[in-house]
Amino acid sequence: MFFHILVSKLIKDVEGTCSGRHGFVVAITGVEDIGKGLIREGTGYVTFPVKYQCVVFRPFKGEILEAVVTMVNKMGFFAEAGPVQIFVSNHLIPDDMEFQSGDVPNYTTSDGSVKIQKDSEVRLKIIGTRVDATEIFCIGTIKDDFLGVINDPGAAV
Amino acid sequence: MSGEEEENAAELKIGEEFLKAKCLMNCEVAIILEHKYEQIQHMSDGDPASQVSQVFEKSLQYVKRFSRYKNPDAVRQVRETLSRYGLAEFELCTLGNLCPDTSGEAFALVPSLRSGGRFEGDAGNDKIEKMLNDLSLIKKFE
Repeated sequence: MFFHILVSKLIKDVEGTCSGRHGFVVAITGVEDIGKGLIREGTGYVTFPVKYQCVVFRPFKGEILEAVVTMVNKMGFFAEAGPVQIFVSNHLIPDDMEFQSGDVPNYTTSDGSVKIQKDSEVRLKIIGTRVDATEIFCIGTIKDDFLGVINDPGAAV
Repeated sequence: MSGEEEENAAELKIGEEFLKAKCLMNCEVAIILEHKYEQIQHMSDGDPASQVSQVFEKSLQYVKRFSRYKNPDAVRQVRETLSRYGLAEFELCTLGNLCPDTSGEAFALVPSLRSGGRFEGDAGNDKIEKMLNDLSLIKKFE
């Protein structure tokens, strides 16, 4: 029972947090060891060292991954890979893609064959990361070989 | 990473800790998170969505959307196949996640494959093509 209390406290405190070193703690998958508790003098609290395993998500500079476009504007577009936000500036979108404003703002090639809009899936390369207490923010590029749209939500399925 | 060499996944510079850590493909994470989600569903009467963090929820949606392989047996086969080629964990997962079609694409997406003389020359290319072909067969018969 006590074990359960400690583990649920651990899950509550740790899951969903983010650090620069380890990235997002997505899910705790196992508890290896719970050490001896240490009473914090003058308070009623006890601290326990807990060794656990977890799944983390940490994007690296130079990593290539897939993401979903969430917003498009003339500055570029935002995409999401799970909890991680990625911005791709228009300088890092291939030159043959032009911004089109309208109901569904998008970047389109002159022949109209490739289009990036909200909900498009793109493959991008991370070129910069910034971490704060609650989130990781990345800068990405699609201006390289084998990067760009992988599916087009506007196209017939 | 202050004081250390600058991080660059293309050269496999991802820090000592992550080089040693087990790296998971999206499809593997999907299995783990879905299992955990079901457990929570069984344990609590309420909606499990309210019990998990937003990070968990978003990660689950993401890995479900970008899993190349859904069937757990296929996922296991993919890891088995890739692990025969002397890849680093990070390389293995990038290849398993992105499933390149050609050796040229594989080298472009995972430039560190060129290091260590593992896939040099035509023989190296053939080895990569064989690996990619094995992966596509697993997908086909999933």
